[in-house]
Amino acid sequence: MKELNPKKLRKTILDFAYYGQSVHIPSAFSIVEILSTLYSKILTYSHQDPASEKRDFFILSKGHGVMALYACFIELGWLNETDIKNYFHDGSRLRGLAEADIPGLEVSGGSLGHGLPVATGMALGLKKREDARKIICLVGDGEMNEGGIWEALLFAAHHKLDNLLVIVDANQFQAMGRVEEILSLESLPDKFRSFGFDVLECDGHESSAIENSIQKLFSKNKKPKALIARTLKGKGVSFIEGQNAWHYTRLTKETYEAAGKELSLA
Amino acid sequence: MREVLANLIAEKAEEDSNFIVLSGDHGYALFDPIRKRRPSQFVNVGVCEQLAVSLSAGLAKMKFRPLVYGLSSFIPLRVVEHIKLDVCFQSLPVVFLGDGAGLVYSTLGASHQSGEDLAALGALPNLRIYSPSDRYELAISFKEAFTESTPAYIRIGKSDRAACHTSELSSTNPHTIVHSDNRRKLLIATGSLLSPVSQMAKKRNLHCISVPRLRPISKSFVQEILKFEEIFIFEEHSSHGGLCTFITNAIISAGERLPLIHHFSLKSIFTKLAGSYQFALSEHDLSDAQLDNRLSEILDAPRSTQAASHLPHDSLKNDSAEFLK
Repeated sequence: MKELNPKKLRKTILDFAYYGQSVHIPSAFSIVEILSTLYSKILTYSHQDPASEKRDFFILSKGHGVMALYACFIELGWLNETDIKNYFHDGSRLRGLAEADIPGLEVSGGSLGHGLPVATGMALGLKKREDARKIICLVGDGEMNEGGIWEALLFAAHHKLDNLLVIVDANQFQAMGRVEEILSLESLPDKFRSFGFDVLECDGHESSAIENSIQKLFSKNKKPKALIARTLKGKGVSFIEGQNAWHYTRLTKETYEAAGKELSLA
Repeated sequence: MREVLANLIAEKAEEDSNFIVLSGDHGYALFDPIRKRRPSQFVNVGVCEQLAVSLSAGLAKMKFRPLVYGLSSFIPLRVVEHIKLDVCFQSLPVVFLGDGAGLVYSTLGASHQSGEDLAALGALPNLRIYSPSDRYELAISFKEAFTESTPAYIRIGKSDRAACHTSELSSTNPHTIVHSDNRRKLLIATGSLLSPVSQMAKKRNLHCISVPRLRPISKSFVQEILKFEEIFIFEEHSSHGGLCTFITNAIISAGERLPLIHHFSLKSIFTKLAGSYQFALSEHDLSDAQLDNRLSEILDAPRSTQAASHLPHDSLKNDSAEFLK
């Protein structure tokens, strides 16, 4: 496994966003430590082959955060610098939402509420084959508005899919505002527990807390697992953090340089 | 046909340990054989049709061969976006089976009647579509759907119509049901309407072809159709997006001129009243008796001699509020 540096990942996300003039920067920033921990400490995978038959499966259900995953893939060698410079250019291969035809992206997550149900089917498949590999699926708290998410939680608990870990990027925002103001979710841990999950909460920007929580969850059997990762949307750049308008804002030369400077100093 | 389907499912489970059936709490006795013979290969996912589709995609990614079963009002109509993104986008080998298509549930109303399923699926890339009319067409459609490595939809309508074939079929290509030397008029039908249409064809000595596979349609079938001057197309589906659309699209794609086509299909209405299957069909002028009368009226009517060139050049200026349905 390679150690992925969150600061470097955020800088790469900025590069993708600037060269592609992409929005959704805060959605990517909030999951950086979750992804860096997964690819540094948790997941089994092959640097040579993202489709290795021996890999664990990571599913980005909240496809809007895909630039964070692209940044990981740059570090792992599954994407290259050209993919950054050409992001969104005519004929380039990377889209602004997770699409499953990119090696390393297991499921299309652009339409919310799809990734977790598909991941649940994958977990069922592994169980039936008595295959010990893990399925880890990252959903957004806003995404949890979708009914399909709750269908999948019911199913995973009923079928005791203890090879499935659902991580919630609880950054408290969805597209048009605060989750609590649009469709209240709390108490998320209680909801997961009542569905039959083993649940832990942690600071979603503390790598050691994320790692310890996941290891602890996977040490238990018979229940699917959920980790509520409390995060800050836009984490890492002061003028983006907690500012929902940045969900739709593109970087200018000035904001790109200012954000880059903050990350360099952090 | 349902007994045949139940056995096809159970036999497939015994033949292939990767075969797995997902049902959204529908099917009941249909699944008795598989539940008895291969219980681990049947999963009732609950009343969660969209979940059933997504689970099937996950299972297909783990090298299983899923069959997702539901009433066609739900699988596929309720879950089209999940079929598009979870299955068709990656061209995963999932087979969807939509049962009770058309007006089979004549007493249950619009929620369980389905004249839109083909239209909803016809624009999705990578999907094969079957519409068997009897147990022989069902058997070959089922077999072919699982032989191919792409997604497929099998539409099953009224299942107790008389069979039009008498023996096993070797392909899902269009089959001649009634042969006639009259090469001017051709009757084409799919699914539940094939049975009455074949009877009408026999009575009038008209050529009649069954189309169990709606997509893809072959070039040779297009060329066969174009040998006839006048085509009659029959389907228990909306006039939009079903058999007629697949055929006319194929002719257009082949760069050929469309022949005169008479289309017998469901009207763009919801049925208003409860009653028997034939009663429900009658609201759409598709009962067996109505089909026969309508065909006679067309065959007996003097042919219009007014050519399009005789219409005024500025006919758009005189556009009225009278719309075609």
